[in-house]
Amino acid sequence: MAKHDCYHCGLPVAESDDGKFTTVILGQQRDMCCPGCLAVAEAIVDNGLEDYYQFRTEPAQKSDDGILETLDKLKVYDDPSLQEEFVFEEGQDKQIQLTLEGITCAACGWLIEKQLSKVEGIKQVAVNVQERRALVTWSPFQIKLSQILSTLKRIGYVGSPFHPDEHEASYKREQKTFLKKLGLAGIMTMQVMMLMTGLYFDWFGAIELETRQYFYWVALTLTTPVVLYSGSTFYVGAAKALSAKTVNMDVPVTLAIFGTYIAGIRSTVLEQGEVYFESICMFIFLLLLSRFLEHRSRHRAAQISANMMQYVPVSATKVMPDGSLTECLAKQLKIDDVVLVKPGETVPIDGVVSDGNAAVDESMLTGEFNPVRKSNKSPVYGGTVCQDGSLTITVTQTLKNALVNQIVRLQASAMASKPKAAQIADNFSRYFVTAVLLISALTYGFWAYQGSDEAFWITISVLVATCPCALGLATPSALTCAMAKLNRQGILLKRADALEQITDIDTIALDKTGTLTKGKFTITNAWYADGVDSDSALSIARALELRSEHPIAKAFNEDKALSEKIALSENKASRGSVDSSECPLHKVTNFNVTPGGGISGEINDTLFSMGSAAFSVNESQLKLIDDFPSANVFLTVKGHIMAAYEVKDTLREDTQETLDILATSHTLAVLSGDTQQNVNALTATLPISTAKGGLTPEQKYETVQAMQQSGAKVMMMGDGINDAPVLASADVAIAVGNATDVAKTAADVILLGDQLLSVPELIRTAHQVKQKIRQNIGWSVGYNVLILPFAVSGLLSPWMAVVGMSLSSIIVVTNSTRLLSK
Amino acid sequence: MSIIYVLIPIAIIIVAVAIVIFFWAVKTNQFEDLDRQGYSILFDDDLPPEEKKLAEQRKQLQDSKIDKSQAPHGRD
Repeated sequence: MAKHDCYHCGLPVAESDDGKFTTVILGQQRDMCCPGCLAVAEAIVDNGLEDYYQFRTEPAQKSDDGILETLDKLKVYDDPSLQEEFVFEEGQDKQIQLTLEGITCAACGWLIEKQLSKVEGIKQVAVNVQERRALVTWSPFQIKLSQILSTLKRIGYVGSPFHPDEHEASYKREQKTFLKKLGLAGIMTMQVMMLMTGLYFDWFGAIELETRQYFYWVALTLTTPVVLYSGSTFYVGAAKALSAKTVNMDVPVTLAIFGTYIAGIRSTVLEQGEVYFESICMFIFLLLLSRFLEHRSRHRAAQISANMMQYVPVSATKVMPDGSLTECLAKQLKIDDVVLVKPGETVPIDGVVSDGNAAVDESMLTGEFNPVRKSNKSPVYGGTVCQDGSLTITVTQTLKNALVNQIVRLQASAMASKPKAAQIADNFSRYFVTAVLLISALTYGFWAYQGSDEAFWITISVLVATCPCALGLATPSALTCAMAKLNRQGILLKRADALEQITDIDTIALDKTGTLTKGKFTITNAWYADGVDSDSALSIARALELRSEHPIAKAFNEDKALSEKIALSENKASRGSVDSSECPLHKVTNFNVTPGGGISGEINDTLFSMGSAAFSVNESQLKLIDDFPSANVFLTVKGHIMAAYEVKDTLREDTQETLDILATSHTLAVLSGDTQQNVNALTATLPISTAKGGLTPEQKYETVQAMQQSGAKVMMMGDGINDAPVLASADVAIAVGNATDVAKTAADVILLGDQLLSVPELIRTAHQVKQKIRQNIGWSVGYNVLILPFAVSGLLSPWMAVVGMSLSSIIVVTNSTRLLSK
Repeated sequence: MSIIYVLIPIAIIIVAVAIVIFFWAVKTNQFEDLDRQGYSILFDDDLPPEEKKLAEQRKQLQDSKIDKSQAPHGRD
């Protein structure tokens, strides 16, 4: 087994590639799965960074096959007008924050720092593994930003410039303040506790009154910063609530803290009465701890979503009125500007074709692979890719209003209208607090009426005993543990409370292309006419398809797909066909593309055609097609069939298994932009109750809305830009596999690995979490209710109330951490 | 017992210093990334190449010893 996993990324090595990509790492020959991984591994070894492999705890991310080709594209980042937005001046040097894709464990951080610090001109590198970011300082006279990014890319990480938004910066500041307050409270609690323990255990009265008084003063000194600084979070919260004419948990907390503190000062100064300084410190520390945990889980989620918002600059080739061409940024284009798009380039902006003819791949908008023909007057959309011709476009929309951005906006509004995990907790706490304040007041009134000296302390006990510290920890501690656990399994949660919602889900809607299927075409079946050698037919097919940009063509150019499938029918020939990829290919002349039909070209003066039956097969031979009904691509010579291939997008390996598991407890529905026919063909064997095809992004969104209105709780799984609005509107959204950035931004949960089987695991964990939260809440509420009569009746002194509260908090946290080990 | 009148103020001063250091650490981002730094010690990057080779050899020697000692027990 181990032999057939890629040493670099841990994915299985295809049998046909076995032994093709190997290099020596840590003194042994290692197999890789693809040239990309091999290039990265070799770069790591050549730089003397082999140690990475020794200490990493997770395999690396599979590097993309086109790694070396895309290096050129990084040049756009050198544009000064672009850099303005995210590069900071550091004296002579420049500094940038990058988000890094591909970091899987702490060893990656080391690898990046080592690799970059060797590059001349880079002054400083700091990698933050938890945040998946790096701060790089470099000297602009010695090195360019694009060179830094390409160095990163060579060792398998994709760095993108990024600047944290205002929101995140404030989160960071809060995080630091929390840490300081918590640290101060913790250290002081220890000191005060030490002094007070001495006094509490003075069972024989050996401590003189003078010493006792001295201890009180010291404790008061140590407690004061905790009350004034660490506790300020609660007073601010209470003041805010009161000024909004409502109450929250902070109100009784503030009352209890100040009551105890002021009474403590009074007792110390008057040298009579009791002090509970250690109780105050402990109380503040534990409450802060629960707030901190909650804040941190939200902070992490915010960070993950912020990383998605990478700065992707789009450049355009503008045609000036005098006919000259200049490069500019897409966002600088105005309506009626004229832009030239060359073959293979991304259309920078929405517009109308004014000249030229080309097939445009709109899969990023519609999710479907079949390119759309564009000629004079047809509309084109920013973000789509021009495949085979060049187009001159007149701009009709500025970038701000372009279709891609509209989809992003549709997603934002869907996000806002998303059914929120109701604010029950807030309502609950308001009633709870009101009850606490009422009970405390009644208790005080009753004991004061009775003429008891203890009335004040009994009231404080009630306030402390009913403080729902454990209740506050119940949910965040369980969610934090579950997030950590899922993170280890490659499931990234952007919104922690999504876990609570997952348990209510009864309907799962799925995208087809890229989610259920692999999202690329492969040859699944091949037939050859009598007397035709499979090898030579394939090499002709490949020579022709190499010239084509159609997605189907890629199926023929993939060594792996070819050799695997041929091995099915012709065992002997399989090796030969792989090697032929290294042989010089047939020379194709008179190459021709017929949109919607196929391609043709001459090889050694013989005309070959390839494409649909209607395009390439001679009428006299049409009935032959019936012999292989599922074939959809035909290779013909002068209309005679040489070979037929069935090329289709295949299901992921784990789709069937995953859906079988999910179908037992959920209703499954497929929402696809592909034709109904294709959808039906694919879902026939799967346990799916409804399958809808031919949907636009809006229609997908409306379908899910309709489901929600009829009372269903919908979980949506998707990957494309066209899924973004529907992902944003679903109760819980999952971005699958190599989802587009827009889909990842819209989703609540991101699957980092390429496995659908993570989904049942996610649902299982969500149920565990729900159970844990219930246990925690049950325990903490039970404790509060149970302790209340003791507090009210005066049996409980404040220090007992604090100890009880601490124990109850510890039990809740311990219970939550059990999630980690499961 | 009068010594505590001296010792406790000293303790308070030490605690104050500790808190100042802690605040400094928070301010200079020492708590930003708790995963990464723990690994630094594992990498022998501070060794010159010759010593590193020696270290590798020692490691391999040790590994082979472990393998041998475990072989008779059999692993499953």
